[in-house]
Amino acid sequence: MKPRVVPFGEGALLVELGSEFQENVVGWARAIAGYWETIFTFGPAVPAYASVLLRFDPLRIAPTQAEKVAAELLRRGEFMLVAGNEPRRLIEIPTRYDGPDLAETAERSRLTVEQLVALHAKRDYTAYFLGFMPGFAYCGRLDPRIISSRLERPRERVPAGSVAIADGQTSVYPLASPGGWRLIGRTELSMFDPSSAEPVRVRAGDRVRFVPL
Amino acid sequence: MIRISEAGLRSTVQDRGRFGHLRAGVPPAGAADPFALAAANALVGNTDDAAGIEIIGTPFRFSCDDSRVVAVAGRDVSLVTRSRLPPWSSVFVRAGQTVTVHSGERTRFAYLAVSGGIATVPLMGSRASYLPAGLGAALRAGDVLPLGDSDAGPEDAARRIEPTTYDEQVRAMAGPHDDRFEGDVNARFFGEAFLVQPASDRQGVRLGGVPIAPRAGELLSCGVLAGAVQVPRGGAPIVLLADHGTTGGYPVIATVIAADIGKVAQRMPGESLRFYRVERDEALDALRAERRALDGARVSA
Repeated sequence: MKPRVVPFGEGALLVELGSEFQENVVGWARAIAGYWETIFTFGPAVPAYASVLLRFDPLRIAPTQAEKVAAELLRRGEFMLVAGNEPRRLIEIPTRYDGPDLAETAERSRLTVEQLVALHAKRDYTAYFLGFMPGFAYCGRLDPRIISSRLERPRERVPAGSVAIADGQTSVYPLASPGGWRLIGRTELSMFDPSSAEPVRVRAGDRVRFVPL
Repeated sequence: MIRISEAGLRSTVQDRGRFGHLRAGVPPAGAADPFALAAANALVGNTDDAAGIEIIGTPFRFSCDDSRVVAVAGRDVSLVTRSRLPPWSSVFVRAGQTVTVHSGERTRFAYLAVSGGIATVPLMGSRASYLPAGLGAALRAGDVLPLGDSDAGPEDAARRIEPTTYDEQVRAMAGPHDDRFEGDVNARFFGEAFLVQPASDRQGVRLGGVPIAPRAGELLSCGVLAGAVQVPRGGAPIVLLADHGTTGGYPVIATVIAADIGKVAQRMPGESLRFYRVERDEALDALRAERRALDGARVSA
């Protein structure tokens, strides 16, 4: 798929960078979002795996003008990667590996529980983007030896602090909610606190490491 | 201060939304019917940024500690002081005077504005309540909320804005993923009647009726916004509203224009809804018309 810019209502554009997951494309999406928000200050941006939603006030900025800027950002391509991204921090998440899906997921992956924990905790992940709920960071990639298909029956209630995996990714549920990811552990670390000066623990682009307790 | 003696079923403080933390996965929240809140604010002389109260289920009864201008907007709503006031108009109330917000059988959301605005402490840059994440709280009888400064007097009352016509006709632009639907499915989407389902809430309005299934194939999650019409594999569309998740993984067949989002939000379960396709220019014209109506109310007093 050729990268393109399509209207998303009268006050937003969707920049589509590809149709498949690629680590460098995720970084590119974040970089474009950074430029849109901080350099052009047209409005908020929402990066995801291979796209960026660019919002603007269409009574203040003509949509055709916004489209020009978006096309220009697209044309600059990967040059933007370094400049547009914020510095990457390392966030360590102390984790107790005792989730209700841990044993079953290990068995399914033909690993022992100890092996699965070691594989999950061994590598540093990148927080690709946040979505689904406040503070929920999609982090990857998971070691491919861990089979991480979503649950066939999502849970009605996943407790806050659950460390979870799905589709080659890992995350922490910041709040209690329904959810279909496999729960392998839990953390006491607060991932979202609206009263704090920095409400969200993990920002897109951060490195994330799970530290077994 | 505003003193709430009856709080309706689920009423919250809302403003135009929290747009500074979308990248952190924080939904914008804000009024589900944005124009109705904007109208109520304009009627009492507030700026567009002021917070009001979104009322679900009436009666809602209150008084203020000092004299204020108040207004209510929404579908089939009115204010009662000693008598019932015309809809979408402002009224001057004296300190301690009891005011009641009334709604009809087809009202989902009523918006109360008080001159000076509701002055609760902003959280993450906004006063919009988003209950799932503990941003704000559902209002209860006995709650007392601070108000901003206001020098509005009796001369600021009796402003009027023409109420929105809350009919079934909703204008929408082609969506970013319309190429994921067959041509005849797109054609069916624009024109057929859908029925609003009971599971609808501030997150989205769920529709039933003719199935609108997308073509097979996976879609990577992308950023979404209020008005987006998402279509899950089952073919039952969902129109996203203020409390929507910041990203979504279903193809978006159409986007309701900003001026018509309130019409979608205010449809009751069992009521019908039809999408009419418009181009971007028409969407912008509709926004400008709203802006003129709001500005007109501010100067007409």
